Amino acid sequence: MAEYSFSLSTLWYNIVQQLCYNPQEPLMFSSGLFWVLIIIFLPIYSLVKSRRTMMAIFVTLFSLFFFYKSSGLCFFFLLATSVVDWALAQYIDKCKKRAMRKLALAVSLLCSVGMLVYFKYANFLLFNFDAIVGRNFQPLDIILPVGISFYTFRTVSYVVDVYNKKIPATTSLLDYVFFLSFFPCLIAGPVVRASEFMPQLHENKAPTREQVYGGMWLIMLGIIKKAVFADYIAQYVNIAYGNPTGYSGVELLMAILGYSMQIYCDFSGYSDMAIGLGSMMGFNLGVNFDFPYRSLNVTEFWRRWHISLSFWLRDYIYISMGGNRKGKLRQYVNLMTTMLVGGLWHGAAWNFIIWGAGHGLALCVHKFLMPSLKKIPDNIVVKFISWLLTFSLVTLLFVFFRADSFDTVWAMLCGTVTRFDVAYFPVFLKVRYTWCALMIIIFAMHFVPKDFYNRVRTWYINSWWICKFIIFLVVVQLVIEFSSADVQPLIYAQF
Amino acid sequence: MKKPIIGVVAILLLGLAVFAGLSFWGDGIDIGSTHFKTGSFAENMLTPPDTATSAAANVEDSVKKANVRQPLDTTSKVILFAGDSMLEGLGPRMAAYATANGHTLINVIWYSSTTEIWGRGTRLKERIEEFHPDFIFISLGGNELFVSDIKKKRQKYLNNMLEQIGDIPYVWIGPPNWKPDTGINDMLAESVAPGSFYLSNGQHFDRAKDGAHPTRQSAAAWCDRICKWVMDSSYHPIKLEVPVEAKGKCKTIVYQPEV
Repeated sequence: MAEYSFSLSTLWYNIVQQLCYNPQEPLMFSSGLFWVLIIIFLPIYSLVKSRRTMMAIFVTLFSLFFFYKSSGLCFFFLLATSVVDWALAQYIDKCKKRAMRKLALAVSLLCSVGMLVYFKYANFLLFNFDAIVGRNFQPLDIILPVGISFYTFRTVSYVVDVYNKKIPATTSLLDYVFFLSFFPCLIAGPVVRASEFMPQLHENKAPTREQVYGGMWLIMLGIIKKAVFADYIAQYVNIAYGNPTGYSGVELLMAILGYSMQIYCDFSGYSDMAIGLGSMMGFNLGVNFDFPYRSLNVTEFWRRWHISLSFWLRDYIYISMGGNRKGKLRQYVNLMTTMLVGGLWHGAAWNFIIWGAGHGLALCVHKFLMPSLKKIPDNIVVKFISWLLTFSLVTLLFVFFRADSFDTVWAMLCGTVTRFDVAYFPVFLKVRYTWCALMIIIFAMHFVPKDFYNRVRTWYINSWWICKFIIFLVVVQLVIEFSSADVQPLIYAQF
Repeated sequence: MKKPIIGVVAILLLGLAVFAGLSFWGDGIDIGSTHFKTGSFAENMLTPPDTATSAAANVEDSVKKANVRQPLDTTSKVILFAGDSMLEGLGPRMAAYATANGHTLINVIWYSSTTEIWGRGTRLKERIEEFHPDFIFISLGGNELFVSDIKKKRQKYLNNMLEQIGDIPYVWIGPPNWKPDTGINDMLAESVAPGSFYLSNGQHFDRAKDGAHPTRQSAAAWCDRICKWVMDSSYHPIKLEVPVEAKGKCKTIVYQPEV
């Protein structure tokens, strides 16, 4: 047993440190501290739930604290965005003059999108501008508030929907801050829209047993995906992408495949946790990932991958630009523009733009070939080829998403082709068997029928409390085991 | 609503109690032949604040302290040289140094090893008891360049290794970084005795095909710099004059990776 000397001052100091903003340790759903806070949060939430204003104040304060723990004083920007957009939406809703409404919408978009552009893209734009004019680039000292891309998209959708008279503007500022700062969706989505969220807030229904335990089930799935699968797979991926010239073709191929699985587990795991938390609080936040690697074409992929984001892009960019209503050529331009924005939204770098462009191009090609593709018989061989092509394309484009430079992209792809030797496969399997097992599991899980998942979920909800407790212990132990397990970068020196 | 919420809170609360309690066991618990790791709740809550300064300051501090050095020891030594695959490059050149200076060298290469792998067991102590070295070189850390939260994960193993070394004079050779590390050099600089840490990070290395290990030639030049530093700047200087012969004698023990 380890020796710890108990000191009240040390304990107090450590508690305060845990509750203060630390840029090195943002508060994540997969961290122990978050769950300690949830133990305090949930009973209070259930007590104040029936009194809507009290509940809204309590959850908003908790959400702001959550944002402070992740981004420090940047939570003031979130508050500023909330107040400005709430006020402008009120004005847009009441104003009869079209020009003034348009002006208010423009001001709102300028403020919210402007803030996003400044924080996220200022250095990228400056870098490119300086490169064009041949000036030395001096980066601005800007801290990117965590989750700004997500809450900006949420507030944009709200103001645009009010402008289009799809929803009425909310009269309560508290409700709007509640919506925008709602902590389950704050850091990494889903991009929930006011039209779906506000009615639930107004109804303020108490969560059912199915929602509470169904949420718990989703949270545990999410934690396993994020903290066990994604984080463990990421270690090898990081090592290979960090030094692509040092690895064989097989090792690089596995890293490329690994990243596809890592990013899926990471994104969807975090989404699952967010949706599960929302469900426990009585909110339905929708589905954000629907087995994307089952897709048989790239259009289907975008209906299954990060659904709230891709539907947001579809509704507020693609359709706003005319969608498919203005002819084939215009449709392709709209698709490309939408996917370029989607790429840039993920990060301020050229590799994200290329990634978006790749998907845009693939969507255009798919739309173009659609009439011919419909004539091909829909049998199992065709389905398999379609799946393989889609998965390969998505995986290939993720190389651009992951690599820190085009040199790395080149080194990864060239190394995979030129140094490929099948004989390395058994060695790789033998040496990195845990990693391979995790890859196989997550891949296989994609092809288990949905019914099976629903049955297991229902079983969990209806199971005895002790079963739930044991499952929870197993999940946490798995997280502890894998979070401290490291993948070795060097197996042998290769003289 | 309250009943299921109470159920969930009870799961979380009891779970917290279980894992917080287990975290007092420190490293982990062995049940039968299975080792279960424990969380870091107790460590996070009851460990006094970390007052450590930056690595650069520590290295500087270490060098300053080492200014009060032992005099050059010119007697023949039994040198134990233990570490990871970097020894493949350093070992042959160190053997040339050992032979030329009248020392006996034992190289112990544990492929793919880390401070955790060495510090979890007693292999280092066993080799010390077997060969009774009066000087030790450790070259370890290349496999830990990218370990996140390294102090939390590895400090205890490093301390365990240093305990196994005990009072025997030693030099810890830091890894030859091919990418910025996540803190291994900082941790070593803070923990290793004054004048006993050789910082390799920042030096120029020609790399082998794998992009990580120095080439044989580059590793030999690295070894030359290490030996010069040991004689000129370390706390326990021993005789390591540049050899005339390129080769030397040594005993080599190899352990396979533990992955």
